[in-house]
Amino acid sequence: MRYSLSLALGPMALLLLLLLALALILTEQRASIAHAAPSVNARHVLTRGGVEHKEAAVAAAAAQTHRADAGATPAIREVDLEGLKKLLQRDGATSGKNARPLLVNFWATWCGPCRDEFPDLVRINADYSGRNLDFITVSLDDPSEIKTTVPAFLREMRAPMPSYLLNVIDPETVISAVDPSWGGGLPATFLYDANGRLVFKHTGRIKAEELRAAIDKVTSGK
Amino acid sequence: MKKRYAFAISLSLTLALSLIAATRAGASGDNVSAVTIGSTVADFKLTDTSGKEQKLSSLKGRNGTVLIFISTQCPVVRDYIERIGKLAADYRERGVNVIGINSNATETIDDMKAHASANNLAFPVLKDKGNKIADLLGAERTPEVFFLDASNKLVYHGRIDNHRNITLVNANDLRDAIDATLAGKPVVKAEASAFGCTIKKAS
Repeated sequence: MRYSLSLALGPMALLLLLLLALALILTEQRASIAHAAPSVNARHVLTRGGVEHKEAAVAAAAAQTHRADAGATPAIREVDLEGLKKLLQRDGATSGKNARPLLVNFWATWCGPCRDEFPDLVRINADYSGRNLDFITVSLDDPSEIKTTVPAFLREMRAPMPSYLLNVIDPETVISAVDPSWGGGLPATFLYDANGRLVFKHTGRIKAEELRAAIDKVTSGK
Repeated sequence: MKKRYAFAISLSLTLALSLIAATRAGASGDNVSAVTIGSTVADFKLTDTSGKEQKLSSLKGRNGTVLIFISTQCPVVRDYIERIGKLAADYRERGVNVIGINSNATETIDDMKAHASANNLAFPVLKDKGNKIADLLGAERTPEVFFLDASNKLVYHGRIDNHRNITLVNANDLRDAIDATLAGKPVVKAEASAFGCTIKKAS
């Protein structure tokens, strides 16, 4: 009797410890994602004249209603730090119960891996734009290129996602606002759920399947 | 009987702890361990552009060392390369040495040699094969700077200044950190970030 009890207790203890380990891991992962939520702290904003941050809410609305339209390149809007924050927070028309998960890709025409991954991003946009996901791209090119190399590349890629070009003097303010743990390397891709919580991030060329899995998860609400 | 029971429990514990350790490593697989401000960087060896092995301890400055991750192809590094050269020249006499590190798996020692020659680099550039030092320090992009004081303690990490367009620079974070250290003062802003090219690490 005691022998069979001991034999039963061994596997039971193993199972219990395995469950404990799993619970620990899940708790840790949740905590790390929650910690990575975008900062909305007010920061000193350095802008140059003519930046359209007041239009960000309108632009965000356009992002929500936008649908894939291969061949058409949307106008590229210049944004400053405040404008970008509004885009990330989905202020105005896209806030509240109508908010959808948001995918943001930071890129530049001078960045090789950014250019390399763009076809994957265009395909992802085509596959998900009608499926409860907003997708915007933010170029870190020089503002002087807003009417030249940036639209030329987007046209070449047949990229219909709403596109922005960041105009800030101090990039650190932007990096901190997006994700304090982001070192500033490009390309960088961030996925937020409908509540604005950062649920996925990747620096460097994306792994399309990994990103698709994260989008599937966030758009299905699991 | 007791022995058998104790063995089962020990085995269970070992398996569970191994599982925790293995899963944690997997969860942080994309992250690199990083040296934090205030910690000391241990001596390391890398190969220079002539194929000679070099040690941090033999290249370091008597008053401090700037480790800067660079690339031969990154356009941001291209915009900064003159500034890096000037910084190296400005501080050499004051006992601060600049050491370039190339951790890009896609760039060869020949590429580095040509790049150093084309840009008249007057400081050593080392090849970080397998991005071991980039991972050790937590470097992710180019250009990215780690400034060590005379005792190899990390006192500043991040960008050179705030803008790749030199006419828009209004924060010289690296120079401020070096100047403060040389004056025996604490570095006010020990970390600052900027956009750059991602280091193409060995897979």
